Amino acid sequence: MASQASAKNITRSVSDPWNPVTSVPVTIYSFPSLEPRALESWSPRHLHLPLRRDILHLAVIYEGDMTRQGTASSKTRYMVHGSGRKLSAQKGSGRARRGDKKSPLLRGGGKSFGPHPRDFSTSLNRKVYDLAWRTALSYRYRRGELIVAQDGLELPLPNDFLQMVSAEVLGRELEDGFVRKYMKQILDGLSWGKAHGRTTFITGDRRPNLFTAMDVAGEDGRAMLLDDVDVKDLLETGRIVIERSALKEMVKNHQSDLISSVAVNGIRAKGPPIGQLILNAEDHSYNRSLKRACV
Amino acid sequence: MPPRLPLAQAARCCRALIQAPTSSTSVVSLFAALSVQTRSASILGSLSDLKEAYHKRIRKGRGPSSGKGKTSGRGHNGQKQKGKVNPWFQGGQTPLIFSHGQKGFVNHRAPEMAELNLDRVQAFINAGRLDPTKRITPRELILSGCVGKNLKDGIKLLARGKDTLQTPIDIMVSRASAAAITSIESVGGKIVTRYYTKESLKRLVYGDSISTDKPLPFGPEHVDAVLEDSRATQKHYYRLPDPTGRWDIEYYRDPAHRGYLSHQLKPGESPSLYFKVPGEKKTIYKSKVKDEGAAELDVKLF
Repeated sequence: MASQASAKNITRSVSDPWNPVTSVPVTIYSFPSLEPRALESWSPRHLHLPLRRDILHLAVIYEGDMTRQGTASSKTRYMVHGSGRKLSAQKGSGRARRGDKKSPLLRGGGKSFGPHPRDFSTSLNRKVYDLAWRTALSYRYRRGELIVAQDGLELPLPNDFLQMVSAEVLGRELEDGFVRKYMKQILDGLSWGKAHGRTTFITGDRRPNLFTAMDVAGEDGRAMLLDDVDVKDLLETGRIVIERSALKEMVKNHQSDLISSVAVNGIRAKGPPIGQLILNAEDHSYNRSLKRACV
Repeated sequence: MPPRLPLAQAARCCRALIQAPTSSTSVVSLFAALSVQTRSASILGSLSDLKEAYHKRIRKGRGPSSGKGKTSGRGHNGQKQKGKVNPWFQGGQTPLIFSHGQKGFVNHRAPEMAELNLDRVQAFINAGRLDPTKRITPRELILSGCVGKNLKDGIKLLARGKDTLQTPIDIMVSRASAAAITSIESVGGKIVTRYYTKESLKRLVYGDSISTDKPLPFGPEHVDAVLEDSRATQKHYYRLPDPTGRWDIEYYRDPAHRGYLSHQLKPGESPSLYFKVPGEKKTIYKSKVKDEGAAELDVKLF
């Protein structure tokens, strides 16, 4: 069906002009109630790029190579501890010729062509890598798997529990057990848990409740700092829940292919704006218009 | 919490409703779209580079079916089959390098100039990347990308495409060819050549020096003014160096090169520091009148 649709759209007439999208909407949700709190308009060059599996592949391989530790090491015959004394005379023993006991042929000897510490990292052009970041975000966005949360994304824990924690009534085990169950129930309620491919939470800095909860409820997802995220992380779990400011920072750090290094008439192209606010639930005029619409 | 339909599924079933309203599919298939099970299979398993990006490695000497089996593509018998032939080998003849020796040398200390042609300058002006209303200095040329950001010892202006130059420009570079100078001045432009080093170009680009076509002030009468200037500004600016070598001084003293030191020449004086213009009078240095008191103090041991 998809191929039929694309075949139909190869030629275009005046009545059916080609209108590429000029902006895509992003809803900012509260967590964990998932109420829409704001609406933003984003550039398709940030969040609606076509899926390029080859570019994603290059980025994932590049990251994988960079992550390899490369510390495997072994000793050659010259590094092995021992004497260089000849084990037996060259001739007359009736046995094979033998040099020193560190020979690679002998047990306990050195390794001929063993591994030595090395750097496995490969290179990838910065503009290609940045395109891969935004391609990964676009892929998630198009599938509805990019959930943008308000700034200060954190797990609100019940007051009773927090009081008991501060009174140190519960032990560490009970506290962890409660938080784990609490987080699990939230994720299950949202269909975000293990059965639905887990969830990655991304925040700008460490949020104690959220990060502890995702540590103990690790089978349902994970929480990551923005600095620790790479392209592979964006592609791994069922969905990405990211703070609004973290998303902006991520796109800002990875748009080198959109920013020109050439100044024309003293002005340098700075790329499309990163997210423009259209509606804000905290805005009073918006609330009033909503009420009026409801009445 | 309100029940929520995953966005991807919503889009899918809505599209089905929009795209195929007239098709004769049963209602059951429409409901099937709603009850599609989501499987969160990662895209990571289906990533791959373009097919053209992969090359099959040629495996030499791995049997006749590989096509490079028996002789591994090296043919039969000879030095080339066994190893390599020196690049200077001339079939047994005594190589020319041995019979005639080497000619000339490479001056590794010669300043390496970035070459800039007039057609490129005009193209950059047309594209709005260079501003012809202000003086074009190496800082502008480097920052606009007109010459490479890999800094050399200076910039030399050459005259390729001199007919394309239409804009009158005011430009200051290290050196300029005679044809470039005439073509710039024929359209009403102005050119000055100034001594630069790699370090001073770097400082100009970083804003650690101020571009000027005036040589360093020399003499005690300038000290106060220079000190006052440096006290007035918070930032320390490095001064641009003047040439110290004979060749450079002579180049920038020469009005034919539009050198920035050419104003120091007296009328009729040669830019050369060694050769004089014929007919010029020798300057006779008067011997200093010795202080007699000092002469008396001069005690000779021997």
